[in-house]
Amino acid sequence: MAMNNNRLPTVEQREAFFMALYKKAFPNVARYVAQMGGSLEEAQDIFQDTLVIYYEKVASAQTEIIVNEKAYLLGIAKRLWLQHYKASNKNQPLNDFDTEVVPDEQPATGKILHYLETAGKKCMELLRAYYYDHLPVGDVATLFGYSGTHSATVAKYKCLEKVRETVKQNSLTYADFIE
Amino acid sequence: MNNIKTIDEYLLGNMAPGDALLFDANMLLNNDLISDMEHQQNTYAVIRQYGRKKIKEEIVAVQKILATAPQHRGFMHRIANLFKKY
Repeated sequence: MAMNNNRLPTVEQREAFFMALYKKAFPNVARYVAQMGGSLEEAQDIFQDTLVIYYEKVASAQTEIIVNEKAYLLGIAKRLWLQHYKASNKNQPLNDFDTEVVPDEQPATGKILHYLETAGKKCMELLRAYYYDHLPVGDVATLFGYSGTHSATVAKYKCLEKVRETVKQNSLTYADFIE
Repeated sequence: MNNIKTIDEYLLGNMAPGDALLFDANMLLNNDLISDMEHQQNTYAVIRQYGRKKIKEEIVAVQKILATAPQHRGFMHRIANLFKKY
């Protein structure tokens, strides 16, 4: 199943997309992990991260056409397995795929995320749709029930401001903490 | 809405070259602007972490359907067999 113009606005559409990829590519990945001496659980973990990376790639606007999806996914999985095999900390498989510029001063993200997931869920979902899922503003307006693209854009900036303020407050606390 | 939109356009590369140059010059003169920009960069990092967490939850949910729904039993059985051979 190919992504329709790289857009998967609803959970249901993403579910169908991931299900199709499981059926298509997981057997090969599982076979590879088994051959490498890994367990079924490890194969599942590796494949989850493979799908996250693949999703980010196809959702971003700069994606080239991927001709052989199956081989491509196996390629990502192999890289992740080798990383996983080398790394002592199994919770770091996605780090090498982190290509965005990340500022030196990291916020205390775990704490902020926890707070935002509860207190600012609607804003986070809206911002996720824009900046992570890369949905066009029209789709975001429909998904979140805004009357048009202008209201959706205004809401986006309001949310961005709100979250930035939280990050700012938290960074200050964090900086005070480590002084 | 203060500088949120301007910084957004600057950081995401959606600003006209002339405006970006002006923004660079403003940053030299304005420490608050630098600070706001850093916080906004951190905000994008938080949004990305949130996005990754949520998409992974969706993927795990799909995996659960595969593991439990009767129509996928044959598929999962074939996968499990791969691990018995080694």
